[in-house]
Amino acid sequence: MNKGIFKRIIQNFIRLVTLLVAVCVIAYFLIQISPIDPIQAYVGAGVAVSPEQRENIENFWGGNGSPLKQFLTWSRAVLQGDFGVSLIYRRPVLDIIIEKFNHSILLMGLSWVLSGIIGYTLGLLMGINRGKPGERVMKTICLSLSSTPTFWVGLILLLIFSIGLGWFPVGLSVPIGMLTKEITFFQRVYHALLPALALSFTSFSPVALHTRDKVFTAMESDYVLFARARGEKSKEIIKNHVVHNTLIPAITLQFASFSELFGGSVLVEQVFSYPGLGRAAVEAGLRSDVPLLLGVTLFSALFVFLGNSIANILYQWVDPKIGEMDYE
Amino acid sequence: MRRKSMMFKGLIILLVGIFVLGGCQGKGKDASQSQEDALKKKEKLVMAIGSEPDGGFDPIVGWGRYGNPLFQSTLVDTDSNMEIVKDLATDYQISEDGLIWNFTLREDAYFTDGEKLTAEDVVFTFDKAKDSGSIVDLTNMKKISEVNENTVEFILHKPDSSFIYTIAATGIVPKHSYGPNYGENPVGSGPFKLVQWDKGQQIIMEANENYYGKVPEMKKVTVLFMEEDAALAVAQAGQLDVAMTSANLAQQEIDGMHLEVVKTIDNRGLTLPCLPDEGKTTKDGHRIGNNVTSDIAIRRALSYGIDREALIKDALNGYGRPAYTECDGMPWSNEKAIVEYDVVKAKDILEAAGWIDVDKDGIREKNGQRAEINLLYAAGDSTRQVLANAVALQAEELGIKITIEGTSWDVIDQRMYSEAVVMGWGAQSPIETYLLYHSENTGKDYYNPEYFSNEKVDEHIDKAMSSLDHDEALEHWKKVQWDGETGVSTQGESPWVWLVNVDHLYYVKEGLDMGTQKIHPHGHAWPLLANLKDWTWK
Repeated sequence: MNKGIFKRIIQNFIRLVTLLVAVCVIAYFLIQISPIDPIQAYVGAGVAVSPEQRENIENFWGGNGSPLKQFLTWSRAVLQGDFGVSLIYRRPVLDIIIEKFNHSILLMGLSWVLSGIIGYTLGLLMGINRGKPGERVMKTICLSLSSTPTFWVGLILLLIFSIGLGWFPVGLSVPIGMLTKEITFFQRVYHALLPALALSFTSFSPVALHTRDKVFTAMESDYVLFARARGEKSKEIIKNHVVHNTLIPAITLQFASFSELFGGSVLVEQVFSYPGLGRAAVEAGLRSDVPLLLGVTLFSALFVFLGNSIANILYQWVDPKIGEMDYE
Repeated sequence: MRRKSMMFKGLIILLVGIFVLGGCQGKGKDASQSQEDALKKKEKLVMAIGSEPDGGFDPIVGWGRYGNPLFQSTLVDTDSNMEIVKDLATDYQISEDGLIWNFTLREDAYFTDGEKLTAEDVVFTFDKAKDSGSIVDLTNMKKISEVNENTVEFILHKPDSSFIYTIAATGIVPKHSYGPNYGENPVGSGPFKLVQWDKGQQIIMEANENYYGKVPEMKKVTVLFMEEDAALAVAQAGQLDVAMTSANLAQQEIDGMHLEVVKTIDNRGLTLPCLPDEGKTTKDGHRIGNNVTSDIAIRRALSYGIDREALIKDALNGYGRPAYTECDGMPWSNEKAIVEYDVVKAKDILEAAGWIDVDKDGIREKNGQRAEINLLYAAGDSTRQVLANAVALQAEELGIKITIEGTSWDVIDQRMYSEAVVMGWGAQSPIETYLLYHSENTGKDYYNPEYFSNEKVDEHIDKAMSSLDHDEALEHWKKVQWDGETGVSTQGESPWVWLVNVDHLYYVKEGLDMGTQKIHPHGHAWPLLANLKDWTWK
């Protein structure tokens, strides 16, 4: 079995490399064929700059090679770990990604844990109580939540808890006007909690619905029937058989949800003025910051791939029969 | 199951704990007690104004172009009437030919690290800015050199009286500590110093107690960077003293705040190609010219026949001023450029020029050419969209058919030489007038895509640039608009139809006195802070 996992890791690694290369090429040439003029984005409309000055800027950014040549220069640099300098921030792209990801990881991590716990618990309850009125209501809630836009949930939470009740901050990841050295980790969590809640609200339903079916299948299975025949109590059955057989698939699904997490964080960060990677991606896109956009694209591909790989390996480990099971 | 329920209880306790402790941090206002209590309410300020500057707080890459660099000082400054006042410079002279400018520096200016500011730093700043490839425009500066410790000398390629405004917009950085990370940790001699910058979120600044001028009354100023609707939410939660907003959000009432309306030259207008379409293209292969707008009668009729007041009411919720030039209300603008809304006159101009609706379909023709044009605008900009719509409706009444089209700047880049576009400018310097109307700039960038050129106008601009006398220069700038015979205003050739100047709107806490604001330039936010050092709480 160990050998199998090792083989999977090697396979995954090869897959990762090819994926990243493909993402690079596609993203780069999509930008090439779009009519984006990064120089214009940099100067911005309405700043008095003479045409000569503009030429200076163009030379500064080296905008005078063929697309292919530019791409080769860029990819060679990327291979050496140099993602170039962001047009917006005028700082190395990698620095910005790390900085922004540090904010996002707290938000996403919190949300991921929250949605996992909420999702699994709800799924378990629904699976056990299948067919009862309460379960039907819950199922409806789950289904409607999974189709609710994240930003809308965020806005509602913001209205109720921040503006209405004043329990939570209205945005940002740190307290207003406070020096870094005085900020506690706790305050950071407190600032990330509401956006994390908004993010998990829309992402727990897949886990809940999936778990519900799994639990139901387990409840109907022969071994549970057998356990009942042996005289085990419901609680024990759920603990020994149902949870045992449904927890891992739920966790696996959680890992496979990295892409939703990333996509959702873009919207949530906008609503909560949270300075993470999602907002950086939006900014880079809107303002034609090509190096940053490509950097974020690559990074998010890596991030999502990592989640899916973990999901795959977990699955393989739980049930060797499944073998090739792909979420990509 | 028991173990599990323990887990749940634990989780609930954790969440409640976060709530409670979070609540203890103070409802809404989470303030660090120790330091905050030392400061009185009257010495603090929290604002939310748009976005942080690209490239940080480094004047060499453009920080402080709008308004004031706050952390650095400039050689000269502009007062609320846009008149030049001395700041770091105690005096300056310009040579007879207008090419050599000498500035004498004050002796009591120190950087916040304790080092004295000398001519060396000034030379370093301007040299660096010229080579930086950023938006600081110093192409006309040939050389800057240090005469002695307190005197610098600029040598220009050609005379340019507007160069003083470029100098007024360039903050001086310290030669001894300038480096690649300067934008994040600026050291300067300005009225404020940057204490902390949480990227993408806020900056915290404090008054510079060693400032050579009057030390600001605001000892601690926090500026938040958030979207306008988010800023509105924070304002409603009572945590802001100033919140930037826009015309469509300004309908809200916020307790304890009032709406401050700041006049601007942040203008919007239409560029109308002045050349006929003769199949010519730019060097990049984009078509030049338009057979309808190249007729002066069409351009002038549009300017007379558009009700600017109605535009302001419809598109800007009433927050704006009519625009007739690129610089309404600046010392270099000409009152003669103002025209009355007059549909009858507009129609007469069209009739006289031979634009007559022969086939009675509501659209005029001339020699078989129908009066039909496209008007492009940047699709993401709702204000420009509403303006374009309103203009199209009003033009219909004149017998001119305008088809509006929202698109991206990248597409406008290719079509602006042959189609009408909604554009906007507004700089606190007359250099813009040169860039917009001088024949040297035809087809370059967004300044003069309409290929407007007029010898008389060039002459006035050249004279204004080379004039050594400030007032005389202003007179020449005014003649660019209208000199009695020709010009760029509606009475003249009207290459632009200027529509409106967009007011900048801020919710402001009662009792905050923001001094006398200059007329704000294009670009919303930082200009408000130009006179931050004079702000007080009543």
